[in-house]
Amino acid sequence: MTADKNSETKLSHTAAMILQAVDAGFVYGFSIMEMTGLPSGTVYPAMRRLERDELIRSQWEKQSIADAEQRPPRKYYKLTAAGRVTLETSRRRYPLLERLIPIEEARSV
Amino acid sequence: MKPPNEFAAHIIDLGLLRGASMLVPRGQRAEWWREWYGELWQARSEYAYSGEFSWSAERAIAGFCLGAFQDALYLWRQERNLGRRGKTPLTLKFGSAWQCLLLMAALLGASFTVARLLPGVRAERSLWRNGVRSGLVLIEDVNNEDSPRTISSGQYRAWKDRKQEFFDGFAFYRVTREQVNWRPVEDGQRESAGWGVGRASSNFFSLLGLPVQFKGTGAGVDAAMPSVILSESLWKREFGADPHVAGRVVRVGLRWATIAGVASEGPWGLPGKVDAWLLEPDSQMVPASAGYVVAHLSASGRSRMGAAQIQITSYAPHRSPDDLLGISLGKAMPRQWDVFWFAVLLAFLALPAISSVSLGDLSVSVHKISWPRRLCRWGFLGAKIVLLLPIAYFVSLDLAYGFIGFNSTDALYLQMVAAFFICMFGMQWVLSDQRQRCPVCLRRVDHPVRVGQLSRTFLAWNGTELMCMGGHTLLHVPSLPTSWFSSQRWMFLDSSWEFLFAGPVRE
Repeated sequence: MTADKNSETKLSHTAAMILQAVDAGFVYGFSIMEMTGLPSGTVYPAMRRLERDELIRSQWEKQSIADAEQRPPRKYYKLTAAGRVTLETSRRRYPLLERLIPIEEARSV
Repeated sequence: MKPPNEFAAHIIDLGLLRGASMLVPRGQRAEWWREWYGELWQARSEYAYSGEFSWSAERAIAGFCLGAFQDALYLWRQERNLGRRGKTPLTLKFGSAWQCLLLMAALLGASFTVARLLPGVRAERSLWRNGVRSGLVLIEDVNNEDSPRTISSGQYRAWKDRKQEFFDGFAFYRVTREQVNWRPVEDGQRESAGWGVGRASSNFFSLLGLPVQFKGTGAGVDAAMPSVILSESLWKREFGADPHVAGRVVRVGLRWATIAGVASEGPWGLPGKVDAWLLEPDSQMVPASAGYVVAHLSASGRSRMGAAQIQITSYAPHRSPDDLLGISLGKAMPRQWDVFWFAVLLAFLALPAISSVSLGDLSVSVHKISWPRRLCRWGFLGAKIVLLLPIAYFVSLDLAYGFIGFNSTDALYLQMVAAFFICMFGMQWVLSDQRQRCPVCLRRVDHPVRVGQLSRTFLAWNGTELMCMGGHTLLHVPSLPTSWFSSQRWMFLDSSWEFLFAGPVRE
């Protein structure tokens, strides 16, 4: 999916909120769930859709890092270029989005 | 080391995840499991961080795991839709309309299956298939003063032995009160009781077309003994509705006989109160006994018998002619199908009394719905009605014959009442469902919102607004019908509303 095409893409508020959360640094499923307050049954399927549409991409954490912290490895999500453009469009459509999950605040946590 | 309760809860959570993973396509399952396993660890460390067992924490974790099913279902649907790419799935094209029809079809299938399995319905079906009882005639001797008028066995033999043009089958029976022993010989409490016994020709049941239920296998039964067919009421009263009653030996008067099965009383109201039928050949008939004759009309007899009664004169050598009267027994009981259609007619007549038959006002809008859409809308309504009628038929049969034996007027009454209510309330549902379906996509409108205040009914509009999730329409339903807003109205949304609605795929 190209960036031009994505600039036309309209996301639901839920999908936009998840995109905003990923951009704000909440990069794995449970942390997105906690941040947005959405249930797991909404967050994970929405992330699958976003990944399918190439707005986010996933990557497994290195096993050594997980072993060091004595926990299973996490699957991290990251915005793609297309996802960034779509998020900008969504922010214009949903002006309250940034207030719900402010990036500066989140990154400072 | 985890406390035992927490350990058990963790096992249940893992079981939930494992169950959900079964829905995930095989190729993605390992990665899916790895991700959810890691996320579960995260959830547990977040919710149950204190190290002590807490029900609220476990509930939250279980709720988290249940979400895995939605995720797995999404992946399963995605995989399924891959094979259908290029085609628009029916659920997307018609929204929940397709699901509604599928649900009704499933209900129809279930009620049909139950109806096929019920012995009462099966017996009724075989009864009507047989077709014998439509041409049955009860023969009476006009000169007899008894009520009901009997016929002597001599008259019967003389008439039967003559060449017949209008009849192709005869059976004679007489009803006597006899002492019957039915308890086993070894039973110390062996006792007798008085039964109304119908001594009938051996072809009696085949002539009537009455199926005999719970027939024995024939093993261990003395073929030389005459057969006894129990009436359904006696079978229930004296034998506790024992399905293995066939083959038992009873003593009827002075004769031993074998129980061959159970039959209902039949719909004709034949004269005489009979508890059991003793079948014996005409050769063993007691001479000069009085009884009743049932005859079956041949094809030419049916064409001649236009009225409910027919005069018959029997000529026999060496005796004066007998004047007989044939009374038709065929129309004694209506068919299930006739009863059902009568109930449907009543239900449709009663419908306006309980529900509005209007489908809502489309004319106030400037928006015109295309003809194919209109056709779909009306087709959907028609399909629902077409499905409702057989559902009502089979469910009413299930209710009527699930509790009451076949060939009973009670069953017919119950069927009629059940069919009436199912049709009436079913049609009410069909119409109210149709009123709440978007005229464009046939989805049910949702998310009701109260607008206005009841106290301002005459100053401003108040009622409920519902929205089509496809973004096509808004439905306004007045809370109090007024002269300027008497029924619900549709408002069609133009493209300027699109930003509020995500597409069906991108939610």
